[in-house]
Amino acid sequence: MRTRRSLGFGRSAALAVGLTLLAGAGLAAGLSGKANAQATYEIEPREPEYLYARTCGYCHGHNIAPIIRGRNLPPAVIESIVRSGMGAMPAFKPTEITNTELEALAEWLSQSEVDPEEHGG
Amino acid sequence: MTSGFSRREVMAIGGAVASSAALTPLAHARMMPQDMDRDVFAAACRELRAIVGDDWVFADEASTISYRKSGIPDLRGEHIPSGAVAPASVEQVQAILAVANRYRLPLWPISTGKNMGYGMATPASSGQMILDLKRMNRILDFDAELGTILVEPGVTYQQIHDYIEDNNLPYWIDVPTVGPIVSMMGNTLERGVGYTPYGDHFFMQCGMEVVLADGTVLKTGMGSIENGNTWQAFKWGYGPYLDGIFTQSNFGVVTKLGMWLMPRPPVYKPFMVRSPNVEDVAAITDTIRPFRMNNLIPNGVLIMGALYQMSMFNRRADLWDGEGVIPLDVIQRHARANDIGMWNTFYALYGTEEMIAAMEPILTGAFEATGADVLTAAEMRGNPYFEHNETLMRGGMTLEEKGLVRWWGRSGGAVAFAPVAPAKGAETIGQTELATEIMNKWGFDYAPAYAVGGRELHHIIFLMFDKGDDEHSAKAEQCMEEMITRFGERGWAAYRSSVSTMDLVAQQYGDANREVNARIKQALDPNHIIAPGKQGIA
Repeated sequence: MRTRRSLGFGRSAALAVGLTLLAGAGLAAGLSGKANAQATYEIEPREPEYLYARTCGYCHGHNIAPIIRGRNLPPAVIESIVRSGMGAMPAFKPTEITNTELEALAEWLSQSEVDPEEHGG
Repeated sequence: MTSGFSRREVMAIGGAVASSAALTPLAHARMMPQDMDRDVFAAACRELRAIVGDDWVFADEASTISYRKSGIPDLRGEHIPSGAVAPASVEQVQAILAVANRYRLPLWPISTGKNMGYGMATPASSGQMILDLKRMNRILDFDAELGTILVEPGVTYQQIHDYIEDNNLPYWIDVPTVGPIVSMMGNTLERGVGYTPYGDHFFMQCGMEVVLADGTVLKTGMGSIENGNTWQAFKWGYGPYLDGIFTQSNFGVVTKLGMWLMPRPPVYKPFMVRSPNVEDVAAITDTIRPFRMNNLIPNGVLIMGALYQMSMFNRRADLWDGEGVIPLDVIQRHARANDIGMWNTFYALYGTEEMIAAMEPILTGAFEATGADVLTAAEMRGNPYFEHNETLMRGGMTLEEKGLVRWWGRSGGAVAFAPVAPAKGAETIGQTELATEIMNKWGFDYAPAYAVGGRELHHIIFLMFDKGDDEHSAKAEQCMEEMITRFGERGWAAYRSSVSTMDLVAQQYGDANREVNARIKQALDPNHIIAPGKQGIA
């Protein structure tokens, strides 16, 4: 299972670098850390909910693009649309969302519940 | 606001995408580099795979599809990449450049490839291989005392936003309109703008690292001082200032970029100036200019046209199903129904309560004298048009502007034209009249915004069209060419260009400029392997 801690694309790496820097700036009271070698989402995949909130959800369910949660959309279709960018939607490359992440995102999205807060576009 | 597509439609379209990607060139998903045999290309790809690994070279129809996508017209297949290669380090960039030199393989660098309105990731000419720098995605340095940041190309505004929140740092970022998926470096190198007091992104840039075509690693400004610590603090360094020649440029591959961040203000108060008539834009501009010059209005001001705004949250058919362009009275009626004017100007005040209380009445009085209403969150909270700009002026995350791409329907299509002019009312009247005349002649709706810097303004025109209709795409292409040409005849040139019109715009800047650029290019990249055609530089 992925944990909240593993969400960061590089959030964990960036955080570690930042904590070191902040310690140098004297602002890191109670924080400690050390810059690591690059640890990106290629190593630690981001969770589907995290990716949805920071990419898909800005348009889908937010006036701009159709609601896609709670519709049992087939995962294979989701994956191919993400990669090709259907219509007005931009394409997302494997360097932005890895194949592993996309597989999990498509599966999660396919099985997700409707979010009553969302509104279509 | 419409409900979107049905499940059956999604399945049909998605299935078609998947199958065509696998079986056909997907209407030219990729094209070979000019004058390069397939065997030679294959050999180059083998060497690239040895550098970055098999997973990070994309050189077949299916895997190249993401790099092919753009919203601009491309009827003759002039902006189709041959593939993509994605390095994870500066050393890999150097090694890739060596291979490219050996094989004469042209490379088109991108950071995230989300250059909306200007061609996304696609190259200036077909056959170039995309040099995708997204995997280089670290925030390398964040100085919490100076408010400076050093990032790699793949770092998005969302990433920096999250970093600041996670660490509770007292800074804001300044975003372009599609911040979450866009690279800070990419937007800054294209000299994009935002809407806080730090809205002129290149002005706020400080230090960069560039890999030249021969593999030399150049650190500009103070970056090469041994044991130095001033790289992100002092822009100018010593001797000729070089950073500018690597923006909107193909003279090198930028791999690190320093930026200044705005200290988070104690109080932020956004305003909307609602003007009822098209011609009001002149008085609004003349009112803004002195306040931008004396910094009483500190942020990048947007004068938004009603149709630009409504195109974010509506499709064209929601407003108009008649013949021809949408009549002015119809736009006015819909604008009124949405509590907006024909022009809606957004500015903000930042500081303490006392500072804002002192400045607010001066500005309110000046704008009201133009016949406009000056509105705040007290009146406009909940209005999506107000909240969109309220978000932008504090560097918040939104992708709402993506909505305008699907103005004509599902296929999407939008190409941007952004001529600059002095920030004077007469200029806005002249530009608005000319753009309206040309766009309406070709059957397109004029959906404008003016972004007012200090003494200049960017006129941002999104030409929205139906990319699924070749005839419509052809008209969009011809309309854009006429706009660039006729604006140029009046002395108004674009500050930036779609990959489809880079040469046309470069011509307007004159032979001497082109010749100097050509000489620099020849000196730094004699094999012309980095982004040939970028900004009209071969």
